[in-house]
Amino acid sequence: MDAYVIEMENIVKTFGEVKAITDGQFTLKEGEIHSLIGENGAGKSTMMKSLYGMYDIDSGIIKIRGDLMGHITPKIAIEKGIGMVHQEFMLVNDLTVLENIILGFEPKKGITIDFEKARGSIGQYIDQYKMDIQLNKKINQISVGEAQRVEIIKILTRGANVIILDEPTAVLTPQETKQLFKILKNLKADGKSIVFISHKLNEVMEISDRISVMRQSKYIGTVNKNETSQSELAKMMIGREVFLNIEKASAKTGETVLDVKDVWVSGEKEISKIKGVSLQVKAGEIVGLAGIDGNGQSELIEAITGLREVEKGEILLEGKNITGKSPGKIRSIGLTHIPEDRNVRGLNRTMSIEDNLAAAKIEDVQFSKWALIKKKAIHKYAVGLADTFDIRPRNPQSLTAALSGGNAQKVVVAREVAMNGKLLVASQPTRGVDIGAIESIRTILQDVKLKGLGVLLVSADLEEILSLSDRIVVMHEGKISGEAIASETDEEKLGLLMMGGADLSSSKSGGDLD
Amino acid sequence: MKATMQSLIKILLTMIFALLIGAIFILIIGENPLEAYVALVRGAFNGKLKIGTTLASFTPLLLTSCAFAVAAKAGAFNVGVEGEVFLGGITAAYIGINWTFLPKPILLVACFAGAIIVAALWAWIPAVLKVYYRVSEVCVTILMNSVALYITSYLVSGPMSAGVANAQSLPVTVNLTQFMKPSSVNTGLFVAIAVVVLVTLVLYKTTIGYKIRSVGTNPNFSEYVGISPKKSLIQAMMLSGALGGIAGCIEVLGVHGYFLNNFATGLGSNGMLASLIVKNNMVFAPFMAFFLAMLKSGAMGMQQSTGVPKSLVDTITAVFIIVATMELLFKFGNKKPRRGGGTPPGKTANADIETQTRTGVNLPSAKTTGTPTHNEGEVTT
Repeated sequence: MDAYVIEMENIVKTFGEVKAITDGQFTLKEGEIHSLIGENGAGKSTMMKSLYGMYDIDSGIIKIRGDLMGHITPKIAIEKGIGMVHQEFMLVNDLTVLENIILGFEPKKGITIDFEKARGSIGQYIDQYKMDIQLNKKINQISVGEAQRVEIIKILTRGANVIILDEPTAVLTPQETKQLFKILKNLKADGKSIVFISHKLNEVMEISDRISVMRQSKYIGTVNKNETSQSELAKMMIGREVFLNIEKASAKTGETVLDVKDVWVSGEKEISKIKGVSLQVKAGEIVGLAGIDGNGQSELIEAITGLREVEKGEILLEGKNITGKSPGKIRSIGLTHIPEDRNVRGLNRTMSIEDNLAAAKIEDVQFSKWALIKKKAIHKYAVGLADTFDIRPRNPQSLTAALSGGNAQKVVVAREVAMNGKLLVASQPTRGVDIGAIESIRTILQDVKLKGLGVLLVSADLEEILSLSDRIVVMHEGKISGEAIASETDEEKLGLLMMGGADLSSSKSGGDLD
Repeated sequence: MKATMQSLIKILLTMIFALLIGAIFILIIGENPLEAYVALVRGAFNGKLKIGTTLASFTPLLLTSCAFAVAAKAGAFNVGVEGEVFLGGITAAYIGINWTFLPKPILLVACFAGAIIVAALWAWIPAVLKVYYRVSEVCVTILMNSVALYITSYLVSGPMSAGVANAQSLPVTVNLTQFMKPSSVNTGLFVAIAVVVLVTLVLYKTTIGYKIRSVGTNPNFSEYVGISPKKSLIQAMMLSGALGGIAGCIEVLGVHGYFLNNFATGLGSNGMLASLIVKNNMVFAPFMAFFLAMLKSGAMGMQQSTGVPKSLVDTITAVFIIVATMELLFKFGNKKPRRGGGTPPGKTANADIETQTRTGVNLPSAKTTGTPTHNEGEVTT
């Protein structure tokens, strides 16, 4: 029997009314690489952050090397030999790599820092694990991959023998990923135990010894790498139960509403994050845009809605060229948009519900005349929408900051749907809202389609994409990796397309893959 | 309403706290703080002249505090109000001296119009630089204050000089009536009050104001619903500049009767102070401006009748800033999640709830604009 380094049993963690983990189980053996996989929001990161002491669990047992742990803080976790590389690196940009590594644990020579000693001891680690790091560069001068290696070194110098990596490959190029995997294997050979959080199945299959799956805040199971396959993992990850399946009504599709022609768009950090995407949305259909987060869906949506500059290509809405037009202009042609993050774009949290509902139409004669706002008209309009869309509380003068996730999202949906546009771009419309709101928002999307609007639905939730869409387009690394008719495909096939490595021809025609 | 009450209470507490600290200093000097404060109040309000002087120094502060607050509503930190006051003043002086072909009432309007246009255009420069080239408006406006000061200094020592020992212009041919002589308070006070009321209405009752507030509190949201953040920010800065210009015009036409070199020094920064202390709240800013004006005009009386130097007033205002900043720091402390608790991406739900509970009371709009401004306020004042 192997000794477990880490044992986590029956973990429960809630954030307010959101259940992040309802039943978490995890064990880690000495010297293994154990992957923890699941969809976004399945609770993977929360599990590991609880282990690292960043969150207090509500109930459950955490044992480290057999010792039952009470309250854990990151300090205790580090003392127990646990280190974590976060998704966002915790490095000081203006300090050098060396300074970052020793920060807080500086070797002293009298009252000064003994940099030579530090350099020596860190050099050992660098050589031992064959990491490519330049100690004298500042953090803002090195690549993301190198910064990640710095994080790993930092953890090692603090004496970690359990290393948690939270989606480490999400920010890496394929080459950097390979390099990281080499390092991980070296670490493993040296007896370190590694937790690898990911939702990229091919990587998981490459690097892991064991794989644990979480779905919808629950532990699903643990399998040995040798005894499983990507498709089995996908099945475990996505699950068979289908909730909230809306009876799909087919509407007659009409003219093309949105026509994206070979569009290239820059990302936040890289140029050409979107590389030549083309897609159409017709009136009366829902087109699902699937893909793992960060593969360019957000950038594409921002380009369509006028919030991000288009490098090249053309976007037509209702036959009119909207490339490079302002968001206001595009809206006037008939765009409505549920943005992916209601707190960043979707709502102005410092304003009341009614001000938020009227925001996109404030210039309209309905709500203002000679620049004077018709407060009463807005109020009446808001009361009506609050009733139709069941926004609680019913008082439209309350601040949106006080609303629950579901009701806040309903305000966004109500505003956009009531605009009576031609195209609705719905980006993660049900992310982080309660089941009741999910159901009503999905029904609303369906109704919008029946009214003859074109709907472009972006969701990280495959089940949502499948249950709502007529056609599904999958994006991978800034390109369309496949397209399918919703009724002729399933989660596994889409999952493979999302990983980018599927047989394109067979899935395009919706043919069988198994 | 509850939030308004809360911030009102906070402001009053800040005031009392600042006065208490001031009292400690007075005690250290060896004077009676109560006596000193009574003398201060008497210095500000005892008699027609004193009330008039207080009102006279209140007039420009009312406008400059409002000017700063308007820009802050759109998320801009306009340190350049002072420059706008200078340029508004010199423009009013130029028109008031030279355009004598106009009948008096129209000339008066022309003076105001000229001051507004020039000052608004002056404020347009940093706004455009910020919006299109991402140049910090704080730096630009600070620097432009010196430029404005030197332009006017040059004009009143050269081309527009009255030829007297002082650097000043010829007297203007049109004046705002001084109604509490011998103090210099003039009808400009009513102009200022009307303008501030009007601006407040624009901010809260019109689409222009709605957009400005929206951009100031959430530019991402504004852009997304089709408001142009660039346009609104420029509008707010120009409106802010216009208010500064009006202040300059009133000072020249009402108080001095000519353009006096350096006349506006401190008007911009004191207005900024008044606005910052109340977190750019349009309703409270005038009261704070009045309080500061009272401190200023009462200080001399206090110095004369007690042994307390008038610079104590500066101590009190300094304490004001410190306390206001401290309160903000305190809020920051509450806001911070548990150690290292970065919200995992893709978990907006958690973020939702966490922020909700933390923003139980939320001063509308002042919060987001207030946060950056305070930190910078320390540096600039």
